Amino acid sequence: MAESATPVLLDSLGKRFGATAAVTDLSLAVPAGEVFGFLGPNGAGKSTTIRLLLGLLRPTTGRAEVFGDPAGDVERAHRHLAYVPADVALWPSLTGQECLELLAGVGPGTDRGYRDELVERFALDVGKRARTYSTGNRQKVALVAAFATRAPLLVLDEPTSGLDPLMEREFRRCLAEAAERGQTVFLSSHALAEVEAVCTRVGILRAGRLVEVAGLAELRRLRRSEVTVSLARPAPELERLAGLPGVADVRWTTPLEVTLALTGPPGPVLRALGGADVLRLDVREPSLEEIFLDYYGRAAA
Amino acid sequence: MTTRTPPRAPATGTGRPPAPAHPATAVRRAVVRQVRRGTVVVAVLSGGLTAFVAHEYASTVSGAIGVGSLTALAENPAIRTLFGPPLALDDPGGFTVWRTGTVVAVLAGVWAALAGTRVTRGEEESGRADLLLAGRVRQVTLVRTALDVLLGAGAVVGVAVTAGVWAAGTAVPGAVLFGALVGGTAMAGGALGVLTGQLLTERRAASGLAVAVLLAGLLARMVGDGVPALSWLQWLSPFGLLGRVAPYAHDRWAPLLVLGVLVAAPAVLAAVLAGARDVGTGRWRGRDRARPPSRLLRSLPGLAVQRTRRPAATWSLGVAAYFLLIGLLATAMLDFLRDNPVFAQMAAAAGFARLASVEGYAASLFGLLAVPVGAFAAARVAALAADETASRLTLLYSRPVGRVRWAGWEAAVAAAGAVLVAAAAGVATWAGASWVGAGLGPGAALGGALSVLPVALLCLGAALLALGWAPSAVLPVGVLPAAGGYLLLVLADSFGWPAWVRGLSPFAHLAAVPAEPLDVAGAVGMVVVALALAAAGLAGYARRDLRG
Repeated sequence: MAESATPVLLDSLGKRFGATAAVTDLSLAVPAGEVFGFLGPNGAGKSTTIRLLLGLLRPTTGRAEVFGDPAGDVERAHRHLAYVPADVALWPSLTGQECLELLAGVGPGTDRGYRDELVERFALDVGKRARTYSTGNRQKVALVAAFATRAPLLVLDEPTSGLDPLMEREFRRCLAEAAERGQTVFLSSHALAEVEAVCTRVGILRAGRLVEVAGLAELRRLRRSEVTVSLARPAPELERLAGLPGVADVRWTTPLEVTLALTGPPGPVLRALGGADVLRLDVREPSLEEIFLDYYGRAAA
Repeated sequence: MTTRTPPRAPATGTGRPPAPAHPATAVRRAVVRQVRRGTVVVAVLSGGLTAFVAHEYASTVSGAIGVGSLTALAENPAIRTLFGPPLALDDPGGFTVWRTGTVVAVLAGVWAALAGTRVTRGEEESGRADLLLAGRVRQVTLVRTALDVLLGAGAVVGVAVTAGVWAAGTAVPGAVLFGALVGGTAMAGGALGVLTGQLLTERRAASGLAVAVLLAGLLARMVGDGVPALSWLQWLSPFGLLGRVAPYAHDRWAPLLVLGVLVAAPAVLAAVLAGARDVGTGRWRGRDRARPPSRLLRSLPGLAVQRTRRPAATWSLGVAAYFLLIGLLATAMLDFLRDNPVFAQMAAAAGFARLASVEGYAASLFGLLAVPVGAFAAARVAALAADETASRLTLLYSRPVGRVRWAGWEAAVAAAGAVLVAAAAGVATWAGASWVGAGLGPGAALGGALSVLPVALLCLGAALLALGWAPSAVLPVGVLPAAGGYLLLVLADSFGWPAWVRGLSPFAHLAAVPAEPLDVAGAVGMVVVALALAAAGLAGYARRDLRG
């Protein structure tokens, strides 16, 4: 098996539906063992990209590869991956167990012992017919089927949208186990807290184009952090904070407290504060949500 | 709870469970599971009906027809057009082929076509195919597996027919050929369904196209049988090949090769197309953005009209094509019956009384019209049930919209659509009859066509009853009054069953308009029953859990 190759390789990938360009010139490589978060607003082309990666859609331009195998050659490419769709549809007359057996029958090899354990952990009643399942239960079937394969690549398209917080925690544990085993994960999600908790690197898609690919730490460094300064007594000389490089949004909430947004190295601000009687200094890194909204805000502007 | 991390496989590639050797086997089992119940039902129906008719013939009708009369029957274009070429009617097998061959072939073919679109396009539309295709299964494999299974299902239906007529005591070669034709029709229908599933993105549209192509084949058979210059049309459809093979009469084997082509061509084309398209969309993509938004979509009745107008137009077109042909054949048929009174009596026994006048001829054939008009009405309610299953009604019903109100609007618009479909048949018959100068007035034609509406309303009522109390069986229950009632009447008349059995059929209460005046009591009675069924159905619909 060519599992030394890159798990996910997208090269100038593009997909048009008639006059609509759903994905444009998307290049991305996800190295082995990485948990990659794939973010973007609704309609940005996340699911289209995933369907291109799975060979369900044919690219208009460029190519997609899974561990070196072209995405279009699904019999080879899908030996390496397992998939959980956003909206899981099951065969209404089959029981959960029968669905799992069917998916194991066509999948890349399933660890049945681990699957039984997963069924327990996700508290899934596999004896019932799929027509009785709620959205969350259908999603659990797909998750159990995917994790039980131990495929080296997991492609997850908003896998937790229907899960309750307990099950979401179980999902994160499974994801951590998978990462520990060296499985690569390609996770598309709107649950930013989840992405923040599990992903090492994220890509942000907007209007079909990849606008940013970066590690979470790096993203934060690029973004502004929020600094709150509490003073023991008023310090009028701090009015000049607003003029320092990288500082914006200076707000005096009281004469003794100031908040500001800081981008880049904090040196000039620290030097300016040196003369004042600072009681407390709070630097809060931006959450992924804030980074994200920053991107979207710029898109809307 | 925190120390459950199982250190099973330390790194990628090692310790992974082996992949199953044949992923296609799992797919095959899944497809078989989806079609097996339908296969058994169609096989039992086809085999049972043919065996029953062959058996009843042997005990009642046998020997009543002379050789001379047979020749006259076989030569008449009108008889050939409507019922297929009558061959070997003195043989129970030959009679069975003539009487049931087309019906059984249409049943098997249409079922297989619907199953074909269901297991391919339907699975893709619902997103279930994605789960399988994320495994090591290619799109082409999925389509090929569906084709294999459907061809197998067609073979099962064919074997059931052969076994049925053989068990009723008919000759073996004829039985085998008849079974091969019905089975082959099912195979061709299945392949056609899979093919239209590759072409169109919506299952409903794909099913419609497949059934339309099949029924166009039936129409081509009718024209080919009626007009000698166009007899080559018989080679184009499995229904025409039934006459070419002529089981129990000529027992020709060679036309089966053409049937093989009719099966293989769509199958191969479907497999080729499957390899070169996006999953989830058909080869023929519609436009994503439509013209300015429809003004109809601002109210419930408007929505109901918007959803019904296209099916109503399609059904009207199909029914009009058939009844135009009926009108064009009027004089040929009348001349024949005048010259051969034996057949006028026989036709009367087979449910076609008073064929001797043009009004009687039109009236007899308008009886058939109740079946498609009733099926149209039932199909509209079935579409409502399908919307519910697919969760498309959830948003509508989350607004201040009562279920009875929406279902009531759908039913009312469906009833109006049924009037249009019936009227189209009346106008077409009048146009055809006027063309050949048969002397059928427009009022008589329209009146005759509209007189079958009570049966269509019964279908609508039965479908609504099923919507309320058995929502998974809306279509079969809905077409029962028309299709089942028609079959019951024909069987009761053919084999002299007791009057009360005959009276169960709605058709027993339908006057032969325009040859007779409208049976007002019968019509009113049927409308009352239809309203009662609809009320019971809507009461159940308002009360039960919404699916989907």
